[in-house]
Parts: sequence; C-alpha cells; structure tokens
Amino acid sequence: MNRLATALLLILLAVPALAAKPQPGDVLPDQVVKAQLQPGESAYLGLPEGAKSFRLSQIKAEALLVEVFSMYCPRCQAEAPAVNRVFERLKASPQGQKLKFVALGAGNSAFEVDFFRKKYQAAMPMIPDADYVLHKTFMNVGTPSYFVLRPLPGGKGLKVLYFHEGQFENEQTFFDEVLRAAAQR
Amino acid sequence: MTKRTLAPIFAAMLGFTVLLWQPVPACAVDLKDMTFDPGPLKPLDSSLKVRAGEAAPDFALPGVVPGQGGKSLVCLSDYRGKKNVVLSFVPAAFTPVCSDQWPGYNLAKDLFDEYDTVVLGISADNLPSLYAWVVEMRGLWFPVLSDFWPHGAVAQNYGVLRADGTTERAVIIIDKAGVVRFARSFNINLRPDLAIIMGELHKIEGDSTSKAR
Repeated sequence: MNRLATALLLILLAVPALAAKPQPGDVLPDQVVKAQLQPGESAYLGLPEGAKSFRLSQIKAEALLVEVFSMYCPRCQAEAPAVNRVFERLKASPQGQKLKFVALGAGNSAFEVDFFRKKYQAAMPMIPDADYVLHKTFMNVGTPSYFVLRPLPGGKGLKVLYFHEGQFENEQTFFDEVLRAAAQR
Repeated sequence: MTKRTLAPIFAAMLGFTVLLWQPVPACAVDLKDMTFDPGPLKPLDSSLKVRAGEAAPDFALPGVVPGQGGKSLVCLSDYRGKKNVVLSFVPAAFTPVCSDQWPGYNLAKDLFDEYDTVVLGISADNLPSLYAWVVEMRGLWFPVLSDFWPHGAVAQNYGVLRADGTTERAVIIIDKAGVVRFARSFNINLRPDLAIIMGELHKIEGDSTSKAR
C-alpha cells in the first residue's frame, strides 16, 4: 500500500520535470552519440578518425555550441545561412576557437541531415538523431534551439551555460552572447 | 484505499508516464505555438486499399495551388504521361508532425524535380484551413488538396481514412503511367524518412531508363 502510494507520488513529481525547459545551471546527461562523422569533422572535433560513437564530453573544447535543428523545420531552413556565418566567425575568432559547434538533426535520418548539409553548404559537424534519442536528452526542445554547454569533469554531464529556443533575432547579439557564455568560469 | 482500488489508478499513471517517454517530434518553435498537439495516437487505424502494380484510383479535389489561390481543382489524371506523383496524406492541419513534414518536401523541390515528380499534399481538412496552414508554412511549391467533402472520400478509396475522420500519414507513389509503385501508411506519430521516398523514385527512374534502352 505504502509502496504504491510512493510510486504514484514519484510519477506525479516526474511529470513537470519532463515538461521543463532547459535553464543555465542544468546538467544534461552525456549521452553516447552514435554517428559516422564526415571526413574533416573528426579532426575539427578532436575525435579519432572513423569513430562511430562518442560522447559530447570527448570533444576537445572548453565549451560546445549545440544547435538542435531539423531539416523539416522552416525556421531552421531560413536561419541556415546565418548559422553558417556564425560558425565561420567562431572558427576565425581566438575566443571562438575555444568552442566547437555541433548540430543535431532531431528526428532526421542520415539522408535528411546530409541533404540539409548540401542544400545550405553547412560546414559544421551535423549528427542525425532519427530516433530522437539525443533530442530527449536535450529536453525535447523546439527547433531551432541553441545550447552552450560545458562538459563536467569525470563524465558528470554537460552543464548548460546558455539556452535559446527559436531563431536568434540579431546575429551579432547571438554571437556575443555565445562567446560570453562560453567564457564563464 | 485498498490495493484493488489503487491498482487501476497506478496502471493509468504508468501508462501516462510511458507515453511521456515516447519520442517527442521536434517542432519548429513558432509553428509550435500555432499547433494543436493531440498527443501520441494509435499508429495505424485503417487498411490500405491500393497495392503496388495496381492502377491508381483517379480523383479530383479542390486545392491550394501555388500561384492560383484556393480555387483550383486538381485531378490525378492531369499528371498522366507527364509527372510521377507522390500523394502525401497527412492527418490534420496545424498539428505538430504535419507542420514539419511538408516544409521538408518544400526544401527538397530539387530532389523531386530530379525525378520528374510532383507532390500532392492531401488532408481531410477544409480548404480555408489548408490555405491558412500553407501561409503559416510560408508557402509550398506543390498543391495541397482538400478531401473535406464528401468527407475523406479519396482517403477512403485509398484505404487511409481513420475512424476519427482524419487521414493516415501515408505515402502513395504513382508513376507516369498512373500505376501505383509504392503505398504505405506510416506510424502517424512520426515523419516518414525522406530517404524511403527518394529511394522509391530512384527505382522508378531506373526502370524507365532501362525500358528506354
């Protein structure tokens, strides 16, 4: 009887947690990513060439900028050229080079991610997430969403430093916010 | 309360929690504000009535046609001998998965063009709703047809009408000779992989190339 009541209580407590939005300070699980990276992507991320699975915490960077996107999302399509520019600016900036950019295709197959990459000539690493496994880890956010994350030592997860859901209104402001978040100690 | 009275409550809560842990389709942020989310639905609720190799049943439906507003009547047979046709049935306007699916086909116009193919989007919504939805999706290059009245008659003919009057998330591919080459109702809660559609169109192109030799 008591066990049943406890189980019910735990379930009720879990419901709002599942619907919550990410906040700075939250820690996301460091999920295993199963994906075949493109030539050049492994080198950019500092991962072994030909690796078929890795954790985001294994990426050689002080912080990560993660975009959750979908090939099917019209807002992601509209923002793709601006996202490409942000990626190029990060690579060219000394501060930005401390960050690595990864885009996760929520619900997108490898074919769909590859199509999006070619359509917009996107150069950042793009990871398919056909079964929404990573999307769930990233709290089922809408697309596009942007996270700045810091891998915690000892595989303890990915600390959210910055979260923005939806298109960024101003490219410069977004760029500055990302750098500012990544510089946090 | 006894164990007997608590058991059904516990089962219902457990079921609800399992539903919450199912994949949640990613939704474009501002479209998300415009959509009605019915939650997870029974994956399939009808039986296909068309099979690969059969003649595709013809139809004429009013549609939102690019450049022609909402007054055009589109017949499947209009495309006979001219284009392959992908019939993309979706359950309902302004719902989460559907609001992403067609913008993806919109982006992939070049791929469909490569295979000399037109998409015909179909749902059982009425024309004004479809018009508003297409505008919200920032326009589409392909016609969006309303199978509203007689309600879902075309969907019924193809075996993709659900018991609640919505349509399945189905893809029917018809070649230029008017023959069904692929027919499948997908899990209504998820988008079909674009690779499946392109793979089938690739096969049709391969067949017509070998016939031409």
